[in-house]
Amino acid sequence: MTDKRPATDKTERKPPLPKRLKDPYFWIFLIFLLYPTFPYFGRFMSLGTELLIWFIFTLSFNLCLGYAGLPSFGHGAFYGVGTYAAGLVFLHVFQESGFLIPIASGAVIGALFAGVLGFIIRNKKGIYFAMLTVVFTQVLYFICWRWDDVTGGESGLKGIVRTSFLGLDMTDPVIFYYFVFVVFVLAAIVIRRVADSSFGMSLQAIKQNPIRSQYLGYNTGLYRFLVYLISGFFAGLSGALYCFLTQSAFASVLDWTKSGDVVIATLLGGGTVSFYGPIVGTIIFIISQEVISSFWEHWMLLYGLSFVVIILAFPTGLLGMLKKK
Amino acid sequence: MPVLILSLTLNGIVLGLVYAAVAIGFSLVIGVSGVINFCHGVMFAFGAYFFWVLKDVIGFWPSVAVVPVLVGCVGLIIERILIRRVYGLDPLFGLLITLCFAISLEEIIRMVFGPAAYSVSAPSFVKGTLIWGDFIYPQYRLFTGAFSSVMIASVWLVIDRTDYGAIVKAGMFDSEMVGALGHNLSILRTSVFILGSAIAGLSGILAAPITGIKSGMGTAILMPSFVIVLMGGLGSIPGTLVGGLIVGLSTSLATLIIPRYVDIIPYLLLGVILLARPRGLFGEQHITE
Repeated sequence: MTDKRPATDKTERKPPLPKRLKDPYFWIFLIFLLYPTFPYFGRFMSLGTELLIWFIFTLSFNLCLGYAGLPSFGHGAFYGVGTYAAGLVFLHVFQESGFLIPIASGAVIGALFAGVLGFIIRNKKGIYFAMLTVVFTQVLYFICWRWDDVTGGESGLKGIVRTSFLGLDMTDPVIFYYFVFVVFVLAAIVIRRVADSSFGMSLQAIKQNPIRSQYLGYNTGLYRFLVYLISGFFAGLSGALYCFLTQSAFASVLDWTKSGDVVIATLLGGGTVSFYGPIVGTIIFIISQEVISSFWEHWMLLYGLSFVVIILAFPTGLLGMLKKK
Repeated sequence: MPVLILSLTLNGIVLGLVYAAVAIGFSLVIGVSGVINFCHGVMFAFGAYFFWVLKDVIGFWPSVAVVPVLVGCVGLIIERILIRRVYGLDPLFGLLITLCFAISLEEIIRMVFGPAAYSVSAPSFVKGTLIWGDFIYPQYRLFTGAFSSVMIASVWLVIDRTDYGAIVKAGMFDSEMVGALGHNLSILRTSVFILGSAIAGLSGILAAPITGIKSGMGTAILMPSFVIVLMGGLGSIPGTLVGGLIVGLSTSLATLIIPRYVDIIPYLLLGVILLARPRGLFGEQHITE
């Protein structure tokens, strides 16, 4: 361990930072552990919770975009499926036993849908891949919009409540925030393990040169399918958490603009150049959305234009820009 | 009942032809430039709104002549300022930037014209209905169907029979090679974009008296275009026409059987077609695959 080095070591002028302090996760976890005590933002617990949920979502999405190079424009589908699955399981099966099983089932159902889609399109490339994911999301959107008996149609799912969990009263927004925080920490660590594993390395190889990877013996279709499955699991998990944050489920979670939002958030921060890009991007995206939408009726104009300009000016995102300097 | 089926079939064909006309431009731009252009739907909306403004000033036929030119100019500006910056990048960039820009353009429409929907009356020479025994059908729809057919046929003739069309088709197969052979790729892409925008604008005029105009009409027509392009095969004009007719007819006739789930039918058909023919009905191996 570097921090046990004797202080008298003269070959090093500045003792290197302890390894843990260099880890961006340490700072991210610390900041969001202290979030409720922040002077201004601390009052908006649901904003903080939404940020954490989006972190899981964008980190998982970046496994597809940044690591495997899959231009998926349908990740909103797995998020939305997770939301509905959690809501339905809660309402019909496990109303009494709290929300842990509904949340887990949201993640599993998300993985299931991602697995099916990923299997079908595992060997499609570029534009075809993107278009098929858009269409898949749209199908799910219409199903949730129209299938009144199950999804509640236009009025959505209601009656979802946060019950107590391990003796903690989850109706308190601060306690629920910390519950989501714990889930986020676990998910973030797992996602980074996946990204840093040999599996993640192989994905990057496939992204850079799929044909050469095939010649090297990689079953590229299998890898693409697996990363889609994993990514869908965490997207479903974040959707399920969102279900209990808003205590409802509406078809709007499956709108294709949602899939656009996750791509924007990931690219803004620099998901293509850094593992931590999605986190930076999500913070900018969610906060700017809140700010822009609060001061002008026609905020969508500014919203669209500003992202056009930012993405054109910094195609590798904020972290990519900082890295270049 | 047979009368109802006949009129639904006709509705479906007319709708399908309008869809196909919009999807042609979308498909050509994807083929030549490799950009999934979400602004394309807004061109459709621009066509309808420009028409709504102009028709009382200069009448129907002059607006039919002027509006595509205006929409084409908008297309030219958008392509020159924005779209050309994403050529050659990951398809996700093009998708995202055109999506964000489409959101802004739609908001501009909402700022200028308000969020309300407007109805547009059909031009006087096709205002009445066609009465044939029990069968009553609005003349304007027949006119729309005929006009769209002529439009699609002329685009097909240009692409299939002229030198320009040959370059466009070659550009869809391998645009870099076309550039290497000495054709100005940049101008080719711009011209295809303008062509697509103008057709979309013209389709907007045709659709306005049938569906009315509202600010969200642009993004609403995008999803059918997606389905049609995938169904018929990327860059194929006959494929786009057949895809459009399938989407139009299936949505129209499905109202008889399962009115609530009409929106899903085209997607299910698309799924079936893609399982049988992964490149769509008329699709060939494409450079983007």
